[in-house]
Amino acid sequence: MPATSSSFRDGRGFDRMLVWITLTFLIVFSAFPLAYNILMSFQSVDLFTLASFDRPFVGLDNYKEVLTNSATDIIVKNTIVFVLLSVAAQLVIGFGLALFFQQRFPGATWLRGLFLAGWILPGLVVGAVWSWILAGDFGVLNWVLQTLGLTDDKIFWLSDPTNSLYSVIIANVWIGVPFNMILLSVGLSAIPDDVYEAAELDGAGRVWRFLTITLPLMRAQLGAVISLGIIFTLQQFDLFAALTQGGPSNGSNVMQYWSWELSFQDYRIGQGSAVSVLMIIVVIGVAAIYVRSTRHEHAA
Amino acid sequence: MTIRTILAGTTALIAGPAFAQEQVELDLWTIDDPGEYHYVMAEEYMAANPNVTINLRTVQFQDMVNDLARSIATGDAPDITYIDNPEVALFASRGMLMDLSPYIAESDVVNVDDIFPGPLASVTYEDGIYGLPRGANTIALYYNADLFRAAGLDPDAPPTTWDALYETAQTLTNPDENIYGIAFSAKNSEEGTFQFLPWVQMTGGNFDNIATDGAERALNLWKQMIDERLASPDTLIRSQWDSTGTFNAGSAAMVISGPWEIPRMSQDADFDWRVALLPVPEEGAERASALGEGDNVILANTDQPDAAFAFLEFLYGDMDRVWNDFGYLPASNVEVVDPKYPEAYAVFEESMKYARTRGPSPEWPRISGAIQTAIQSALTGQQTPADALAEAQDTISDVVN
Repeated sequence: MPATSSSFRDGRGFDRMLVWITLTFLIVFSAFPLAYNILMSFQSVDLFTLASFDRPFVGLDNYKEVLTNSATDIIVKNTIVFVLLSVAAQLVIGFGLALFFQQRFPGATWLRGLFLAGWILPGLVVGAVWSWILAGDFGVLNWVLQTLGLTDDKIFWLSDPTNSLYSVIIANVWIGVPFNMILLSVGLSAIPDDVYEAAELDGAGRVWRFLTITLPLMRAQLGAVISLGIIFTLQQFDLFAALTQGGPSNGSNVMQYWSWELSFQDYRIGQGSAVSVLMIIVVIGVAAIYVRSTRHEHAA
Repeated sequence: MTIRTILAGTTALIAGPAFAQEQVELDLWTIDDPGEYHYVMAEEYMAANPNVTINLRTVQFQDMVNDLARSIATGDAPDITYIDNPEVALFASRGMLMDLSPYIAESDVVNVDDIFPGPLASVTYEDGIYGLPRGANTIALYYNADLFRAAGLDPDAPPTTWDALYETAQTLTNPDENIYGIAFSAKNSEEGTFQFLPWVQMTGGNFDNIATDGAERALNLWKQMIDERLASPDTLIRSQWDSTGTFNAGSAAMVISGPWEIPRMSQDADFDWRVALLPVPEEGAERASALGEGDNVILANTDQPDAAFAFLEFLYGDMDRVWNDFGYLPASNVEVVDPKYPEAYAVFEESMKYARTRGPSPEWPRISGAIQTAIQSALTGQQTPADALAEAQDTISDVVN
């Protein structure tokens, strides 16, 4: 008893307790659902067997069904386009804004804070706002484009399958830019000014300073922002639900939304789980990159 | 405090004999909000039957199937619930609903012959009757009589055939004024199936026989109306409620939707709106319409089957007031005295006679999904209507057999 209390006092027991709280939390809320999801992807699961473990195993049937589905090609392609374009645009615009607000002008920090407003809005609210902007017949964007004389005809952003994916991407970029900007701003302010001053004295121009100082010193932040961007983008569900429901005709369907559709609209939960397992594999790869790119920070 | 204790004591003494009757608690799940059907009816029932307590819980319409399945699995299921009519077969086929036929046989209130064939088919699974319709709805063609007059059309002669519908939509379309000839919903959801299936049924097809010439003709007509901008391309993503919103705003001259629109329409639409039966393929062809609204069902594992059925009987017995009080059409043969919106009521009442159920099939969500996919891939031009319907037929045949 004295030993325990002293170990608690000197911190080791307390440390253990904290670790166990975290571990228990992770096991209950992350590891268990993950394992359960993987289990379900090998079983035939419908709504009524959801709560019992006693379900027929079907081997790889769910994966076969999912991969040979006639919609698979377009959905996988859409997912790749969605992630690549969203992350690239978020990064470029976010980095640009971060550099812009790094210039010391009156109200810079204040304005930068305002940008976060977009990021804290719930996805469904953002989706509702964008669905008014992008509406075909009465949308704000079409009105602007037509008033400026950029288009003669209305563009059906959400109901034309050639546009609908890009409409969701536009909204998703809008959501993601503030987060990218803030994270990159933090990295930028960590670069000491004297490095730039020294380079300037040596005659390095703006572009040269950016390429030889800013970019290399920002490598860890960029790696983190890109991997988090990919993960957040693969999680993006609300916008699809609010804007296009993956339609029309799967024109804007992506794997995360499809997984939900299979599970909770068609009640083919095994197949829905299979899709999410496939996504988990991708996310684990991305997370590995994220861990590698942030490891240096802890070492430093 | 003391006064209240004395009062409570006295009440207990006076009310004593009434308590001889056993206290019953019923759990009821509904998609209604307070002030709507189930809440109003439950309150009236409790007032008339003090020994019954009904605990209501509102569940979102789209969550009902999920929540119900989960609650059955965990043993927390209610005694009575509302289910949308195509889902009854899903639950009945798994033995999760109580077969009401023995109770109905004894009942003085419920007579199966009075229930319209569509609603009756929706609660029938194999040999049992697993629910009682709380009401019904169906779809018809709303039109803007003012725009008819402005376009030189006779507002007393709305289109009755598909060809006439197409021509009328063409005449009424006015891109300069931002007016589409017609609005409907081809959304990738149950609403799309709900709107499309009657067109197929009018030509002799049905959910399990969807790759027919008639269905192809219907889908071609839909496609033509969207391609020629007689209907907005947003028809593909608009719900019936949103489509009717454009009609109320004067941006569409006709719309296909149901009686649930009337309260809003009579407020928002500042023009002479009227209703007509859905047009048929050609003069004299078979009529069909969609059947909406849901059913009151009793869960198989209820511990109060008698009390639950007594409440269902009460609900069913008030069928003659559902139109005026709640905006549903009666699902059985009752006389509605002094209906609100009498002209619209007459049309919808007639349309009810042709309302056909979706299914029934325990696999309805997948069947409906295949139909929605066919509609969407044909309307977006990814497949020809014939190919899209053939593919849907393949999926449906797999599911049905």
